[in-house]
Amino acid sequence: MRLKRRHEAGAVIPTASMADIAFLLIVFFMVTITFEKDKTQVALPKTELRFEVPKEAAYISVTDNGQIRVTNGEYMSTPVPLDDVVSFAANLVVEFPGRPVVLKADNNVPYRNIDKVIDSLKQAKVEKIFLLSEQRTVDASEG
Amino acid sequence: MKLKTTPLSDEIPTSSMADIAFLLIVYFMVTTTFAATRGLDFSLPKDDDTPPIVEKEEAVLIEIRPAGDLVVDQEVKQLGDIFDYLKPKLERNPKKPVIIKPDPEAPYGQMVAVFDVLRRIKIKQEGTAVQVYEIDLRAIQKAEEEGEESDLGKDVNVSIPTQREIESFWF
Repeated sequence: MRLKRRHEAGAVIPTASMADIAFLLIVFFMVTITFEKDKTQVALPKTELRFEVPKEAAYISVTDNGQIRVTNGEYMSTPVPLDDVVSFAANLVVEFPGRPVVLKADNNVPYRNIDKVIDSLKQAKVEKIFLLSEQRTVDASEG
Repeated sequence: MKLKTTPLSDEIPTSSMADIAFLLIVYFMVTTTFAATRGLDFSLPKDDDTPPIVEKEEAVLIEIRPAGDLVVDQEVKQLGDIFDYLKPKLERNPKKPVIIKPDPEAPYGQMVAVFDVLRRIKIKQEGTAVQVYEIDLRAIQKAEEEGEESDLGKDVNVSIPTQREIESFWF
């Protein structure tokens, strides 16, 4: 008995859908990305406890040489002198009541600068601030 | 004379499309800087709050020296000793205020470190029995997973007065 010859299997990997998958991934990343309003690079202090900062927040960054940049969360951060933080905070409280302020300050900033910033926020009646930090591992704190 | 004709393919060459798309993904992944989105929260006094009247002697005073050393109630202490020092005091009076007073020259990071230690101390009060204990990251994560129902206890009453407040209220 003569067997019918098997149909030749194609030696091609179907890659037509690969591009669709890749573009789907791109779209996913583009949708989920949140743009940083403040791109200042600082060495953050390390803490063991860390709580999620709300997405809608104002940022005040303080670098180790005392430069301050602020943003109310709507535009990119702009540099301001230390004495103007209080007017920034006062505007923020009027424009966006209840919006928390995230303090992104360098580990080695002399406390004098932070003191002035927190005092300005207190004067402007800001309700809640976050001290941005990095994770300290449990082992490192014991050593 | 006969002309040679090559048959035209009626397919659009899409095989490089995936390469281009993955290149774009890699580009975006490399250029994305991850934003730090976590930190310690710190509530400032509300507008309608009456300022709490605290006797200076009643509170535990944690001073931070310019070099970052800690002075707890006039005694030099290590960061790790704070819990043991505060535990008996908080058991006697769970509402005992703790004041952090950093020197203007002290590094900000040290103040955050002290605040972190104090935030990890939790107080549970049932009738007259007071339980003071330290929690760690795992306890927090577990509590987050279990939802808002899980009770870790109350926070220590920490205050970080600013220089202006110290000048106007203390002296």
